[in-house]
Amino acid sequence: MYPTKYHTPKTLSEAQKIFAAAASPAYLSGGHTLLPAMKLRLAAHSDLIDLSAIPEMHGFTQKADRLSIGAMTRHHDVANSALVAKLIPALAGCAGSIGDRHVRHRGTIGGSVANNDPAADYPAALLGLGAIIVTDKRQLVADEFFTGLYQTALQPGEILLQVEFPIPQIAAYAKFRSLASRYSVVGVFISQNNKKVRVAVTGAGAGGVFRVQSFEAALEKDFSPSALVTCSVDPAYLMADASGSSEYRANLINVMARRAVENPGKTSCYN
Amino acid sequence: MKISERAFRAVGKPLARNEDLRLITGKGRFTDDFNLPGQLWAAMVRSPYPHARIRNVDGRVALQLPKVLAVYSGADCEADGLKEINHNPVPSTKYDLKLTGKDGGAVFIGKHTLLPTDRARYVGEAVAMVVAETREAALTGAENVMVGYEELPFVVGTVEATQPGAPILWDSQTDNILVDSSFGDAAATATAFAKAAHIVSDVFHIGRVTGVPLEPRAALGDYNSETGRYTLYAGSGGAVRQKHELAHVLGVEPKDVRVLSFDVGGNFGTRNRAYVEFGLVMWAARKLGRPVKFRADRSECFLTDYQGRDLVTEVSLAIDESGKFLAMRASNLSNVGARCVSLSPLSKGSGLITGSYNIPLATLRSRAVFSNTMPTQAYRSSGRPEVTFAIERLIDKAATQLNMDRFEIRRRNLVAPSQMPYRNAVGSTYDSGEYEINMDKLLRLADWQGAAARREDAKRRGKLLGIGFANYVESSIGTPKERADLIVSPEGIEVVIGTQPAGQGHETSFAQVTADLLGVPFERVKIILGDTDVVSAGGGTHSGRSMRHASAVIALASDDLVSKAKLLAAQIFHVAEGDVEFDDGVFKITGTNITTDWFDLAKRLKELQLEDFPGGLWVRRDNEMHTPVFPNGACMCEIEIDPETGGIEITRYATVDDVGRCINPLIVHGQTHGGIAQGVGQALWETCYIDPESGQPQNGSFMDYGMPRFNNLPFFKTEISEVLSPTNPFGVKAGGEGGTTPAPAVIMSAVENALAPLGITGVEMPATPAKIWAAIQKADRSALAEYI
Ligand SMILES: Cc1cc2nc3c(=O)[nH]c(=O)nc-3n(C[C@H](O)[C@H](O)[C@H](O)COP(=O)(O)OP(=O)(O)OC[C@H]3O[C@@H](n4cnc5c(N)ncnc54)[C@H](O)[C@@H]3O)c2cc1C
Repeated sequence: MYPTKYHTPKTLSEAQKIFAAAASPAYLSGGHTLLPAMKLRLAAHSDLIDLSAIPEMHGFTQKADRLSIGAMTRHHDVANSALVAKLIPALAGCAGSIGDRHVRHRGTIGGSVANNDPAADYPAALLGLGAIIVTDKRQLVADEFFTGLYQTALQPGEILLQVEFPIPQIAAYAKFRSLASRYSVVGVFISQNNKKVRVAVTGAGAGGVFRVQSFEAALEKDFSPSALVTCSVDPAYLMADASGSSEYRANLINVMARRAVENPGKTSCYN
Repeated sequence: MKISERAFRAVGKPLARNEDLRLITGKGRFTDDFNLPGQLWAAMVRSPYPHARIRNVDGRVALQLPKVLAVYSGADCEADGLKEINHNPVPSTKYDLKLTGKDGGAVFIGKHTLLPTDRARYVGEAVAMVVAETREAALTGAENVMVGYEELPFVVGTVEATQPGAPILWDSQTDNILVDSSFGDAAATATAFAKAAHIVSDVFHIGRVTGVPLEPRAALGDYNSETGRYTLYAGSGGAVRQKHELAHVLGVEPKDVRVLSFDVGGNFGTRNRAYVEFGLVMWAARKLGRPVKFRADRSECFLTDYQGRDLVTEVSLAIDESGKFLAMRASNLSNVGARCVSLSPLSKGSGLITGSYNIPLATLRSRAVFSNTMPTQAYRSSGRPEVTFAIERLIDKAATQLNMDRFEIRRRNLVAPSQMPYRNAVGSTYDSGEYEINMDKLLRLADWQGAAARREDAKRRGKLLGIGFANYVESSIGTPKERADLIVSPEGIEVVIGTQPAGQGHETSFAQVTADLLGVPFERVKIILGDTDVVSAGGGTHSGRSMRHASAVIALASDDLVSKAKLLAAQIFHVAEGDVEFDDGVFKITGTNITTDWFDLAKRLKELQLEDFPGGLWVRRDNEMHTPVFPNGACMCEIEIDPETGGIEITRYATVDDVGRCINPLIVHGQTHGGIAQGVGQALWETCYIDPESGQPQNGSFMDYGMPRFNNLPFFKTEISEVLSPTNPFGVKAGGEGGTTPAPAVIMSAVENALAPLGITGVEMPATPAKIWAAIQKADRSALAEYI
C-alpha cells in the first residue's frame, strides 16, 4: 500500500472539510473494496476519511411507507434487523447472502452502493425496489443513480447518507453465484408495489445493473413464473467472462427471475 | 523385520494431534514469523510477457528512491558465479520408470538460474530483484526498475508446444520436447489390438491447477561473515534437500548452509522444490551484510508457485468378446513449463497406466514438453489422478460401447489378490491389495442399492442425478533414504527425523509408532523436525513416503536402541548382556527381581557418565528402502445437475481406501477428506487457465480461482481398509493422497452419468455450470421434457 493519511471525523462537515483540503482523498466505509485495491497498489489515496463515526449515517427508521437505512449500516445488521425482516424480508435475505461472515461484518450498504460493482447485490435491490438515495447534497432515485460499471451519479466529495426503500407488497431476490468469487453471475431482484413491478438484474449487464422492462410488463399482467417463460433478454447487452457467455447469462436472468417469483419474500442462492 | 501387534497401545488409535494446540493458539513457527535484527526486504520485478528477450535492466530510477539499497539482475548473479538450481528432475529410484531424452540420452532441463540473463520465458518470471529497508519501499523500487524487453513469439498450450513451427524456448534445442521414452512390448500390444473384438479410445487433458497453500511462500536469508555460513528460514517439503541444492547455487559446502523449516502452511508439492527467491535472499544478505526477507503476495503465489498436472493423455484399450481387457496403448504428454523442475508426474503416472486392472500387454510413450508457462511440479498425488482419470473414464466409455454394466466390466478385469505381488504390463509390481473387496465394501457404504430410488426422487425435483464410480491404485515411491536419531533422556524420548509435515501430523503418528516400539507412553515421545543443524539427513515429505519410511527407520533404530540399552543395563547392574531381557518398555535382569525402564536408565547414565556411552543413551540409524507400495481403493459419488442452470450439487461421496496399516485413523480420515476436496476442486472449480492468444494467466486471485468450500461438499463417508504391505515392518502403504487420486475421475464419471439421458459426453474439467449448460443446449433436449 502506498502511504496514506487516516482521518476519523466526528461530524459530516468535518468530513467534507477534510475532503476539500486533501490532494487525492477517498471516503472509507467498510473498506472491503477500497482497502484491498490499495493493498494491491491498484489505488492510491493521499487521505482516507473514515465515515464510521458520523451519526446521521447509522440506523434504521420507518417513515410512513418507507424504510430508511443509514449508509454506514453493515450487511450483517441489515440481515439481522427485525424491522427489515418485517417490512422487506427479501432485502434482509439479500444482505445476508453477500460474501461471507467477515465481509458482512465490515461491508456497508453505502460503500456497496457507492462502489456499484457490476456483480454486487445491493444495486439490484435498490433498483428493484425503486429506492431513493439521500446524499449530503440531494436525493436521487436509483434509476438515475447507477450510471455504469463502477459509475454512479455521486459527485466528487458527495457523501451518501441514507438509502430509503419504498415498502413493496412483494419482493424477492434470486442469485446464481460465481464458483470463485461468490459474487453474483446473475442476480435478479423483483418487487411488486401497487401493481407496479420492477425487475432489476445484477452481474450480467455490460453497463452494470439494469431493469428488464419486458419482464416487468409480463409480470404486471400475471405475477407468476409461467408469465416469464417466453420472455428473454438480448445477450448483446450482457457480459461474457469465465463464469459464462452472454447467452448463458441471458438464460440465467430468465431462470433466476422465475425462481424469484416462485419464492416471494425470500432470497434464494444457487451454486 | 515384522512388528508384533501385541504391544500396540497407541498405534491404530485415533489420538488427537500433538501439534494442534500449538497451531490453533498461534504458536506455530511459519517462515514469516521469523524476523532478524537489521532485516531488509526484497521484491521481485516480474516479466509481464510470456516470452521476451531481456535487452537491459536499468535500476537507476529505483536506486534514487528512499530506502532502496540495491537492484540486482541476472548479470549480477552471473558475475558473482551463482549457479543454477540443480533440480535433478528425473526420478531415479530402482523402481521409477526411466525417462530419457529423444535419442535415449540425458534429459535437457533448461538451466534454472536465479535470475535469467537472456530471456524471460513466462509471465511472472523474476527478472530482477530490489532490496530496500522496508517491504513497501522494495515494492515501489520494483515498480521503478526499467527492463528493456523485446517480445518474442510464445506458446503455452501443451499440444501446441510440440508442433512443428512452435516457438522454441531454448536455443540449444531443435524443438520443445525434452523427454520421449517408450515402455512395454509394442509388437505384442499391436498383435493384441489387431485381434481385439473391440477397441475403445479417447484423449483427455488433465488441466493445470495450483496448490494454493494458506501460507504464502516466504524466505529469510542471513549470512555470517565470521563463520562464512548462510542461514535460510523457508518452509518447504524437506529442509535437507534445500540445504544441498542451495549450497550448490551459492557455490559453498553443504555444511555452510543451515535451513530452517518448521511449520509449513500447506505444501501439496508446490514447496518441494527450491525457489529462486531462496537463493536470492541468501546471496543478497551476504552482499549487503544484513538479513534479507521476501514474502510473496497471493497474486505472486498464483503466478509463480510451482503448478500442478497439465497432462494430455491419449489412450486405447483392446477388449475381447467377453469384455476382458487384452492390451492398452497410451501416449502421455506432460507440460513442464519453461524449465524442467520435476518429471515426477510423468514418471509416476507412467508406471500406473493400467490402473487396478489385469491388462497383460501395454505400451506407453511418455513425453514432456517446454512451454511459456510457470514450471510444473508434483502436485498432491503426482501423476496418479491423471492416469486414473484416463483408465477409469475409458472403462466407463467401454462399458457403454460394449453395452455392459460398468461394475461388471471392472470386476471381470480387476487384479485378484491371488495375483499379488502383481507385475503390471509396464513393469510396476503391486505389493498387495483386495481390489474387488474394496468395490463391494464401497457399494454397501455408498448405498448403491438405494441409488435408483434417489434418481427418481431427483427427477421429481427436476434434477438429473449422476452416479460416478472409480477404482484406483497409486504408487508411493519417493526418496529411498531416511535417517532417525532416537535420544533417551530422563524426561522422555526424542526422535529426530528428516521428513517435513505441512499438516500431516507427523508429530503425532511418529510418536505413536515410537511409543509402541519402545513400550513408553505416547506423551513422552517428542518428534524433532526442520532444522538442518539438528536433522542431519532426510528425504523430506512427498509421494506419500513419510509414514512408511519413518516407521521403518524408527523400527530399525528402536532395535538398535534396545541393544544399546541392554548393554547399558548390563554395565549398571554388573551382569552379562545376555541376562538383560526387554519386554514392552521394561528391562529385567534374569534371575533377579531387578527391573528398570528407559528413563531410569537414562537418569543413571547421566549420573554415572559411562565412557562406552558418549552423548548418552541414543542411536542413529540410516535406512534405504526402494521397494514401492501401492495404496488403492474405490470411490463413488452422486451429484445432481440443475438442467436449467447447469449447476452441480454433490449429494454423496464415499471412498474405501487401502492405506496398509493405519497408524492413526483420525489423521488418515482427515487426509482423505482434504484430499477429496482437492481432487474435486480440479474437477469442478480450479484451473490455471492461460489465454493462448496473449499468454497471460487468467486466474491470479481468489476472485477467479475457484477453491473447494465446505458448503459445496457433502459429508464424506470414508472407510479405511488395512491390507498390510509385506514390504515394510509395519505394513504401511500411504494415506495422504488416496482422497485425491480418484476424485477427478469419479466426479466426471458422475457428470457424464447424469447427462447420459441427453447423450452428452466429453465435458472438460473444470465442469462449470456454464459448460454444462452449453453442452445441454447443443444436445437433443427432448429427454429433458420429463425434468423441467
Ligand atoms: C471477499 C469479499 C467478498 C465479497 N462478496 C460480495 C458479494 O457476494 N456481493 C456483494 O454485493 N458484495 C460483495 N463484497 C463487497 C462488500 O460487500 C462491500 O460491500 C463492498 O466492498 C463495499 O462496501 P464497503 O463498506 O466495504 O466500502 P468501502 O470499501 O469502504 O468503499 C467502497 C467505495 O465507496 C466509496 N464510499 C464508501 N462509502 C461512501 C459513502 N457513504 N459515500 C460516498 N462514497 C462512499 C469509497 O470511497 C470507495 O470508493 C465482497 C467483498 C469481499 C472483500
